[in-house]
Amino acid sequence: MKFGKRLKQQIQESLPGWRDKFLSYKDLKQLLNLISSAPPVLSGSVEYVRAESEFVVLLNKEIDKLNSFFMEKEEDFIIRHKELQQRIQRMIAKSGSEASEIDYKAEMRKIRKDIVDFHGEMVLLINYSNVNYTGLAKILKKYDKRTGGLLRLPFIQKVLQQPFFTTDLISKLIKECEITIDSLFPAPAEKKARGEIEAITVAGEGIFRNTVAALLTMQEIRRGSSTYSHFSLPPLNLPDTDVVKSLQLSSPIPIP
Amino acid sequence: MEARPALSIQRSGTQQLNNCGASGALSTSFPVLPSALEEKYPNLPDSQQVPVERQFRPCTSTVVSPISSSSGVVGHMFSSSSGLSTDLHFSSVSQQEKHSRQSLFISQSTSCGTSMLFQQASHSGVLHSTASSQYTKENNDTSWCTDSLDFLDYPINQNNPLDSCNTGEILPSEDLNKRNWEWADQLISDDDALTSSWNELIAETNVTDPGLKVEVPQQSTTFSIQQPQASQQLPASSGETCPVVPPTPSGSGAPTKQRMRWTPELHEAFVEAVNKLGGSERATPKGVLKLMKVEGLTIYHVKSHLQKYRTARYKPEPSEGSSEKKHALIDDLSSLDLKSGIEITEALRLQMEVQKRLHEQLEIQRNLQLRIEEQGRYLQMMFEKQCKSGLDLLKGSSSNLENPLTDLTEPVLKSPDKSNLGVSEGNDHKMDEVGEKQKSPENEVPENLEATATDTPNSPPPKRAKLDE
Repeated sequence: MKFGKRLKQQIQESLPGWRDKFLSYKDLKQLLNLISSAPPVLSGSVEYVRAESEFVVLLNKEIDKLNSFFMEKEEDFIIRHKELQQRIQRMIAKSGSEASEIDYKAEMRKIRKDIVDFHGEMVLLINYSNVNYTGLAKILKKYDKRTGGLLRLPFIQKVLQQPFFTTDLISKLIKECEITIDSLFPAPAEKKARGEIEAITVAGEGIFRNTVAALLTMQEIRRGSSTYSHFSLPPLNLPDTDVVKSLQLSSPIPIP
Repeated sequence: MEARPALSIQRSGTQQLNNCGASGALSTSFPVLPSALEEKYPNLPDSQQVPVERQFRPCTSTVVSPISSSSGVVGHMFSSSSGLSTDLHFSSVSQQEKHSRQSLFISQSTSCGTSMLFQQASHSGVLHSTASSQYTKENNDTSWCTDSLDFLDYPINQNNPLDSCNTGEILPSEDLNKRNWEWADQLISDDDALTSSWNELIAETNVTDPGLKVEVPQQSTTFSIQQPQASQQLPASSGETCPVVPPTPSGSGAPTKQRMRWTPELHEAFVEAVNKLGGSERATPKGVLKLMKVEGLTIYHVKSHLQKYRTARYKPEPSEGSSEKKHALIDDLSSLDLKSGIEITEALRLQMEVQKRLHEQLEIQRNLQLRIEEQGRYLQMMFEKQCKSGLDLLKGSSSNLENPLTDLTEPVLKSPDKSNLGVSEGNDHKMDEVGEKQKSPENEVPENLEATATDTPNSPPPKRAKLDE
């Protein structure tokens, strides 16, 4: 399957507020087609030059869009991270006093759910960053190929430094989150049989679905293609892929 | 210059032509041009080869602007003319075109003044929408004002998104941003040579626009260092309290609505300030800003952040799933027994597993991507070095072939023309082979390139054929 289609799939599975923030791969591709079909500059063509500059303009616009969305979400996450930490601290302090058991449990469950969702969203943001980067790399490669230009290499170097691709902070937050989660959750129960996993799904459908879809899409995208080059990523072989796939197919059962 | 109205459409494209075409510039028969062109493009092929090569490099690696996109094209245009034929007419015609377009830009830009430009330049988001809307609006309009905004917008606004947190370099020796500014500078400074009326306009530009200070571009290696350089040194994700603001190209004092990149430390300082002021409800943006005492932080940043902060506190964890569902969940949960509690926990654990796996894979993928690009860059460097040394070899052997070879090797490297596409494909293919065989690049590339540089039957035929011409 082509990248454009995969990207569309990803977008469909993604969280609602994010759907229009992805790279406009299709538009860029269309512009590229325009460039290729326009008569070459030598014959004094205006359309060619125009299409080319439109392409670059759109590229820059897209990068701006990606950056803004990413940084906004990053900001949100920073705030939420702090808030979660405070909530947990408050809860721990409360648990010292003789508060209602049920309330405590309810609060605990809520916090657990929230923090897992928070973790999930952050991972999805990194996925967002990566998917868009991949799209950019691909479209630039196509551009170079079709027009014989040399836009790709230097442009990609710049992209690598863009805020939306420098995801170190989010990664750090994620790791901190994982540590907190480990401390919040009781020791894991014995490993259930694989078949039982299907019966257990979570109410956070959006995030969970999106995560599963992201994993599978990543694997699909990295399957060998006809244009495999030393710039391509090696194929991704996830263990338990069939399990992950089954998670995707089964409709989520909301917790009663 | 009746062609002007038509030319206004392609101004962005012609910027590219201006910059890069110049590198391959030949001596022209136009009396008006030579002085301007020589000033602007000091490294003409007849005089020096190496600078020309370097000049080409900047052209093509100027990524952000349309320059690079068509540099190949232009490069080809000139190479074919300069190398293969004595078609001076052609080249001079194109130079005339270039010239007229170039002057078109300059007068456009200056007539409108650049203070407006820089106000917009500071807001990259606005810039882009302006640029593109201007672009589409002014297609058939010969109004110079809007065109000028577009013209100078390109180097500027393209600096913004792509040069933020620029700690890397495209080329070993030169910085992309410098090149952009140099390009813009060159185009502006050239006016002095054109006509007296344009001189006047230029003076106007220089007066109104201190940010874009012009230094005479004698060498391609000396660039006027603009303000963006300083601001761009801020690292992308800093752990410092210093706010990382995507750089603005000017200090024109416009209320920058630049997006600020928040960090946890910065947020800590924010929270402290808010608490000192009595909580999120009572704190005012102005107060918080004063208390925080962070340089570069504006009240807009604080305002929007405060808003987010308030929302986060009074509607805790509004995740993408429905929150009302969750409240119902909690009520139900509290009445359920332990078993379902465990089930829920297990479900959450599963979710965590999947998320962690995705994160892991993403990290791996990202590192791979970084390394791939790094390797690609390295290969490119090696390739260019080899070609250059190959050039030197050839230079030593046959002096009369110097000029065409110089011009030819560049387009060969860049493969701008469709008829040269075979060469580029060949090169790419060669590099692909290098990658796929997974030999260490240090060994493989020099072998390949040396083979190309010297006389071997294994070099890609088209390239050899071209050189033989």
